[in-house]
Amino acid sequence: MNTNQSSGGAAGPMSTFMPMNIDAHPLEFTGSGGEYFRVWIVNVLLSIVTLGIYTPWARRRTAQYFYSHTLVAGSPLEFTAQQRKMVMGFVLLMLLTIAYNLAANTGQDTAVGLFLLAGAALAPFIWASAMRFRLGATRWRGLRLQFTASWKEVYIASWPVFALALVWFGVFYGLQLLSPDLAQALEAIEEEGKKQPMPRFTPAMGGLVLLGLVLSVLCVIRTEYNFKSLLVLKAQVGAERGRWKPVYMDFVKVWMATVAVFILCVVGFSALIGILAGSSIALVASQSDRLGLWMFVVIIVSIIAGIFMLILASAPARAYREARMFQLMWNNIGVSHVARFKCHLKSGRYVWLRIKNMLLTLLTLGLYRPFARVSEYRMKCESVTLHVKGGVEQVTGAMVRQQQGGLGDALADAAGLDLIG
Amino acid sequence: MSASAHPALVPGRWFDGQSSKARPVVVSLRPTPQGPSLVLHPLSQPGAEPVVFAWKQVGWPEAWNERKPQPRVVVDLRDHGSVEIDAVAEWRAALAAAGERPGIAQRMQTRWPVLLGVTAAAVIGLTLFYRYGTPWAATQLTRFVPISWETSVAENVLQQMDNGTLKPSKLPSARQDQLKARFDALVQQTPPGLQRYSGYRPPLSLEFRSGMGANAFALPGGKIVMTDGIVKAAADKGLDDNALVGVLAHEVGHVVQRHTTRMVVQQGVLNMGLGLALGDVSGIVSTGASLLTGLAYSRSHEREADCYAIAVMRHAALPTAPMGQLLLAIARDEDNEETQKKDLGKGPTAAASAPSSGASTPDAARQRKVAQEIGSHPVWSLLSSHPDTVERATELERGQAPHCAKN
Repeated sequence: MNTNQSSGGAAGPMSTFMPMNIDAHPLEFTGSGGEYFRVWIVNVLLSIVTLGIYTPWARRRTAQYFYSHTLVAGSPLEFTAQQRKMVMGFVLLMLLTIAYNLAANTGQDTAVGLFLLAGAALAPFIWASAMRFRLGATRWRGLRLQFTASWKEVYIASWPVFALALVWFGVFYGLQLLSPDLAQALEAIEEEGKKQPMPRFTPAMGGLVLLGLVLSVLCVIRTEYNFKSLLVLKAQVGAERGRWKPVYMDFVKVWMATVAVFILCVVGFSALIGILAGSSIALVASQSDRLGLWMFVVIIVSIIAGIFMLILASAPARAYREARMFQLMWNNIGVSHVARFKCHLKSGRYVWLRIKNMLLTLLTLGLYRPFARVSEYRMKCESVTLHVKGGVEQVTGAMVRQQQGGLGDALADAAGLDLIG
Repeated sequence: MSASAHPALVPGRWFDGQSSKARPVVVSLRPTPQGPSLVLHPLSQPGAEPVVFAWKQVGWPEAWNERKPQPRVVVDLRDHGSVEIDAVAEWRAALAAAGERPGIAQRMQTRWPVLLGVTAAAVIGLTLFYRYGTPWAATQLTRFVPISWETSVAENVLQQMDNGTLKPSKLPSARQDQLKARFDALVQQTPPGLQRYSGYRPPLSLEFRSGMGANAFALPGGKIVMTDGIVKAAADKGLDDNALVGVLAHEVGHVVQRHTTRMVVQQGVLNMGLGLALGDVSGIVSTGASLLTGLAYSRSHEREADCYAIAVMRHAALPTAPMGQLLLAIARDEDNEETQKKDLGKGPTAAASAPSSGASTPDAARQRKVAQEIGSHPVWSLLSSHPDTVERATELERGQAPHCAKN
């Protein structure tokens, strides 16, 4: 209540007398699952009543809830996107979706092809627009974040996307060279729509496809690396720019560890499924008098279980990758010479939390989702500590006005990229 | 909280948007017709004029929790930076005193009765919209769909089915011609008052195929396909051709009421609307909801086609009872078959755009069987694409149904 107190908050008093002093500010999240459930159920209800038109308002409320409960060095973040722009972006996106669906459903192949091609060519542009909107709408202690990358830089950073297309073009061309029969068989399929005996699959062809797969994974990792580093390096708070330390190999290591986790999970789950399937067949055999209905039940149950297991088997690997990537990022980035971040997120704990949340969400048909979202956000947020050299009051910058022509950015933002997460 | 003469002063920290340095301020709120306006009194420069921001110039933070306010709120002053306030309870009290009118979202957020009221409105509104609104909208939108699109879709579907499950008919051509003559006569005798789409005159034609058991289905654009199985089934039961003519009248009903096109539109509205509204709850819930609603639409289309058949047959002075008997007989046959070999595949009928002669789809047969075993639980009927066969057959035998419009 004291107006003279600086906003040190829980981090204790700050020293502005000794500029070289480094203060540690752990990030705080002051929201709760129950409270966010209320926010979320209001959004869901209003979306139902308005037939989905409430979506942009819901997105804004969600962002504002999470931002305003996230304290960075004692000051909450602000989400200041203009509602009008978000609505216009959403309406445009819906019109595009309807146009695409109309084209797809009425069999206008050229239009569908054009849509997909334009989407692919514009993907880097869309990503950059969304980032510009997101960062431009984020404010802390009155200062706006900014994403200052030019379109040229964005397209140069997305070279791996185009390399990926080249790789697969090369693989198909190489396959046709290695095996002329295959080319003929493919043509025959196109002409008649009938199946012909496929030609023999030689080890050389297998090697080529494997090479293509490895190269495409490397391209995907490079894309992720390029975009993330561009995002950090071209982000700005006031006049201070982002700092970025990770190298490409750090990303490759995380991906390799993820693949290892995935393989382990698949092996584990296959064993489990084997046991379950065996016991259910035994159960059916003992109930042979009402085989008809039981068979039906067993088939339905096994289909559901199969899909479920697929999600379940990949979930730990996905959570693991997310945790490792989060650590890598937040241990190695900073804001010019003013601030650095440290992260002490535990991968094991995060993976466990995600599995628990997924099971509870499935069991409650999605009603647990807001609690899950809050608990994951809290664990990530509170694992980060901000180290500031010389106090948080020193960041200055030319005032950045809210962009006036940001409608395209709002559209890009509506198109994807969950606000929170 | 405070006397109206002296609006409460709330302490805060102002960030001007140029630097991260905080400046002490005091904020007060004044009631205006649009809503409270905000007055900012800077404390760092003595004698500085207070700045007034109108209701529209401020991004007001939403109250998330009435009983336990958050530790710190930020008021968005747009280009003039933002104000951080620690005394959240005083801030809320000052807002209330200055006549703040919270939006519907905030009232739902902080007041249980409002939340419950909107929940009730949502349930009722959703039911009404998907029960009456979507079918009505689909009926209207279908007016703009050209018949050429329907014909091209029908050609594609039939081509695919001919490559797959359907075989050329083995019926003697004399028998085929005989049925085609009955079909043409039926089309000639259709009363004009039954048209839902005036000016929609698709070229109706009848074709024969074998495969797919005892069945008949209508393709959009006017092509109707009858399988050898259903012709044989009618003969086996000793039913005359009026049974088959009834089935054809039902299929003509699907065509002239443009059920396939309406279904495409309805399913589109469903997937998009329910996906947006329930997508955030979970994919299972939104897909399940659109699946169940889609099945309900399918049942209502079957009833409509039955009504059409009853009306046309009455106008042509033909009995509908044989058709009802045929439905029941086919359902019974398939039941018996199914108890012998457990054929659970849904069959190719799902691919056909408007599969009909309901009893013959494995769906309906299974539903009947399950109903017998579990004791006819109403929940199972929600999972069927066709109304209950016994009920339909009874209505057809009586030649009238309660849900048909009187004409």
